[in-house]
Amino acid sequence: MKKFITILTLGLVSLLHAEDSFEFRNDSVAVKEDISFSHFSVFLEGGEIYPMGDLMDAVENALYGGIGVHYTYWDNVDGVVMFQYTYFKPRTDIYYDGVHQFMGRVGADWKWPVIRPVVLGAGFTCSWTRADAEQIHYEKRGGTLTDNETEFGWYARISLPVFKFKEYSAGFHVSWEQLWTLPKRSNMLYAGLTLERSIW
Amino acid sequence: MNSFINKIIISALSVSLTSAFASIDPEMEGMEVVSRDDGTFLIGSPTFYFDRALGAGGIHSESELWTPRKLHHRLLFNRLSVLPSWNPIETPSIWMKTGNELGDLIYQDFLTESKERPINRTPILEGGFRTPLFHGLWATFRLFQDDHYCFYSARAYRMNQVDGSFSYFGENWPMFSSAYGGLGFTNDFVNASVLAGMEYIWIFTESSRWIPVQYKPRIEARADVGNFSTTFVYENAEYQNYRKKESGERKEVNGSIVYSCGENCQRGMLQLSAGLAFRFVDDDGVVYTGLANDRALWPFLEMRVRPSEQLKFDVMFGVNDRDWLVQDSVEYQIPVLEKMKITLGAKNMSGTRLNPIADTHEYFDGDTISLTANGKMNLLQAFVRFDDTLTNFIGFGLRGSFWAEHGAETFEADKYVKDGIYTFRHGDVSRINSWIKAVTGEFWVKLWYKDLLRFTALTGFERIDGKEKRFEVNPSEFFVSFNADWLIKKTFRISHSLRYRSDAEWNLRTNDPFVVKGDWYWDATFEQRFPKYGISLAGTIIQALGREMIETPNGEYSRIRFFCTAKKAF
Repeated sequence: MKKFITILTLGLVSLLHAEDSFEFRNDSVAVKEDISFSHFSVFLEGGEIYPMGDLMDAVENALYGGIGVHYTYWDNVDGVVMFQYTYFKPRTDIYYDGVHQFMGRVGADWKWPVIRPVVLGAGFTCSWTRADAEQIHYEKRGGTLTDNETEFGWYARISLPVFKFKEYSAGFHVSWEQLWTLPKRSNMLYAGLTLERSIW
Repeated sequence: MNSFINKIIISALSVSLTSAFASIDPEMEGMEVVSRDDGTFLIGSPTFYFDRALGAGGIHSESELWTPRKLHHRLLFNRLSVLPSWNPIETPSIWMKTGNELGDLIYQDFLTESKERPINRTPILEGGFRTPLFHGLWATFRLFQDDHYCFYSARAYRMNQVDGSFSYFGENWPMFSSAYGGLGFTNDFVNASVLAGMEYIWIFTESSRWIPVQYKPRIEARADVGNFSTTFVYENAEYQNYRKKESGERKEVNGSIVYSCGENCQRGMLQLSAGLAFRFVDDDGVVYTGLANDRALWPFLEMRVRPSEQLKFDVMFGVNDRDWLVQDSVEYQIPVLEKMKITLGAKNMSGTRLNPIADTHEYFDGDTISLTANGKMNLLQAFVRFDDTLTNFIGFGLRGSFWAEHGAETFEADKYVKDGIYTFRHGDVSRINSWIKAVTGEFWVKLWYKDLLRFTALTGFERIDGKEKRFEVNPSEFFVSFNADWLIKKTFRISHSLRYRSDAEWNLRTNDPFVVKGDWYWDATFEQRFPKYGISLAGTIIQALGREMIETPNGEYSRIRFFCTAKKAF
């Protein structure tokens, strides 16, 4: 009971000081067992984005490229952080040429031994968009994108490394991404290549 | 940490022990109420909410009541609010937070007629740092802005009230936008800081108006030396109504000096603390609110008598030339049933005003709204609490109480006026000079396994009998919540909260009662922790499942939102 009250108290303290919650650093066992960043790699990737569902009528397929890092989180799980860029051209009658989109993702890749070398991943995504427009016509279709617009969502991903040489590896990946937009959710399929270099 | 602040936190914990809920990250410090439903928590904006835990006793909300543990809260008109917090982050660290209400169009805009567009969704942003100590010295900076609860047709109304922009970033007209920085010095004997900054705040008043106030500058100095804690604040607050070509300025000095019971004293049977809270204002032009005699001096005394381990008495007493306020309680843990932790208790609160340091008048279209009422209020509560452990992984408990209040503060509305989408009210703060009685009950089951899981199922009900149509808010009658914190491999945290609260009702801010329908809500936080490096990456979804609705009159929609936080401790 005393332990529970201690845990509860710590929880409540973390509520009262929610912006200052670094208590986990004081858990000596957690610090000792923390294997994060024992391996670290950087990667470049690029490919094509395929809008799905209603979005197929809104924008054309687009090429994308970006950078990212992998770091050890648990034994068979890597953390991943990605930054990507793409440029979407509208399919409908929009008064500007296209939209710049930057994507940031944070998630995890699970190297499940049963299906190795296939890697499963998932995480949260954030897309920042701005229309490639010189004039603002907010009331026209696409007008909201002339101001900065941001939306969050989630992604799921399958990666297949097919080539490995010393610290380099390369492979394919396919991702499904859903942005939490309205009036409907926006789904896109990503397919591309990854080139990765292990740093340590 | 200063012993007085320690005591404050311990007091807060003892008050909060029945309301165990998951550790959902709040979108901003002070916005924890968004993820609570163990009572009535109705959010109008980050700068105004009605927050009343079920079983707290009385019909007032917590933020209406002055207590010594709120000395570092912000006084926003007559409410004491954590947000916008000027409490320096304690751990040397750097942090960044950003998020958005869900439901922007992005490429759906290519398929959607402009008249069918959903309302624009709005973000939050926060960034800051606190340096490590350098010979005891440290520096900090914080910029934070919450654009939620701000973007409906009311945005256009508020835009006409100010000249130019009214935030650090963007065009959403957020309800607050704040930035400050400063220096501090900390060693074993002293913890001192001086912060300076500027902020934009929309303050909600008794007339139900949103008043724009720009603090330019705001300077806050704190020093904790030994058993003394001092806080001095200087504010130059600029008021305006661009539409009516009105402007005003308030120069204010406020703060507190407190002597708290030291470590030796805390081991004794009698523990005494005493302090003085103060405000001095100098108004020029149209300020919309007023403080009688341009000052409030509030000396107060706290006392705890603990004749035995099982018995304790707590008293807080404050008095000045206008008001007095007493808050006292007694708790007795029955020794023969020690393992069952059965506690009997009673509390009393009496006074002429819930918040004796707040302004005394509001000025609205030629009318003076009195914010003080004649007479006094008296709240009595008796409770029994029991908390037992069945095994080493499950426990349960309950708390039942009866309370009665006479002279509860309320508002006597003379008339309502419409202005655009808003409804304002004329009248005065008043009292309900009859008894309000209530019974409350809460029951909880807790389940835990090592540090992997903490789970709490909690339900409660409250039946109130009184002149309900004169209550500012008829609180929710019942709630149920399921909360869990998972910590996987000591490094991955999932906290989630699924809960329901019944209807609540605002009676006095509109001609007809404003009903806030009950609903289910789900919040969740996912956090990657890196203990060795002091890094945390977290994503939080708030207000999922439930209907998006306006929870207070003249307030804005509470929407589903997602935000992510990255922090690194030095």
